[in-house]
Amino acid sequence: MAAIAELGDDVARVALNLPLRANLSALDNIALIPLYQRHFGAAESIRQAHTLLAQLGHADIAPLRDPDMTPAQRFVTQLARALILKRPRLVIDRPGAMLYDVPYPLFIRQLAAQADLSGTWEIYDFSWNQVLYPE
Amino acid sequence: MNYLAASVESLGAKIIGGLTVGYGLLAFLTEAFLALLDRNTWNRATFDVVIKQVYFTAVQILPVFLTYALVISWVIITIILSTARDFGLAEFASEMTIRVLVLELLPFLTALYIALRSGSAMNTEIALMQVNNELEALAHCKVPPMQFEFLPRLIGGVISVVALASLACLLALLMGYLSIYGLNAAGFEPFTRTLAKIFDFRIVAGLLVKCALFGLAVTLIPITAGLETPKKLFMVPVSVLRGMMRVFFAIMVIEVVSLALKYI
Repeated sequence: MAAIAELGDDVARVALNLPLRANLSALDNIALIPLYQRHFGAAESIRQAHTLLAQLGHADIAPLRDPDMTPAQRFVTQLARALILKRPRLVIDRPGAMLYDVPYPLFIRQLAAQADLSGTWEIYDFSWNQVLYPE
Repeated sequence: MNYLAASVESLGAKIIGGLTVGYGLLAFLTEAFLALLDRNTWNRATFDVVIKQVYFTAVQILPVFLTYALVISWVIITIILSTARDFGLAEFASEMTIRVLVLELLPFLTALYIALRSGSAMNTEIALMQVNNELEALAHCKVPPMQFEFLPRLIGGVISVVALASLACLLALLMGYLSIYGLNAAGFEPFTRTLAKIFDFRIVAGLLVKCALFGLAVTLIPITAGLETPKKLFMVPVSVLRGMMRVFFAIMVIEVVSLALKYI
């Protein structure tokens, strides 16, 4: 797991130790990236965040704040935040720690099928969970 | 001998601790100042967060704060007036009212009010962000916490304290006039003459600088105290306690130094 912490700036991570900003809604958490990194206006950043959530099939979670989300909704928001970074690699670090309320390999596969994929998604999980990922 | 060594050791640790905190404050302030001068900081997003901070710190509390300022002013003015009359010093009542209330008490109470309401909330929020790894998450997303979280709070705090203290002072002046002269325009001339005598450039500039320093103290210290919190949830109350003690100490120092510069 130390290898994950040493991943470079070209990697977007979804991990339990990279939580959402608790006092912001799902939409605002995602919109922060275009707003501060690419200097879009507030309205455009919100639009991009909303489009991404809709693309993942979870537009309904936009107004929720972190404490009001289910683990799956929280994961989707963290995933959208990582996707909007537009980095070539996306690493999901120990999804079982975040998605304990859903059968997560299937859930992630469904999300990946909905998202407009550019770059690669990698899942780092414990070796004893390998049986959950059929080839 | 052992007792002496332990005492020296403890004193040394306290001095080093104090110097470390002072250095941390100074380093953070320098970083904030550099961010303030950076052109990239001044985008619409930062401006929006500053507006939000001013709203939460100053505008939201306006009715309660003005009532509080009104009651305090009325009580203090009544005490000053009746004491001045008892001692046959009624002609000095307006000057005394202005000096005690407007120059000293109201800016001090405003700073205390904002420290208790917003400073403690800020300290808790930053400490929780630190414990929950939210700052690392922002850094991973390349969202600068200084620009997004800290600088707007500092600017908002300074603007809020200066604005609220000014409003309270104006209210006190109005109350003072009404208490001394009543609804009578005859007192306007002596009252404005007293105002002009007290409020020379040095005093006004000093008052503004004092309020700005109060504003800085009630935001900067809670933020740095929050950032010092170890990543343990049970340390959050300790962080708030330390932060608020430092804020109180800083407010007292600013007030005492301001009094010393004015009257000694």
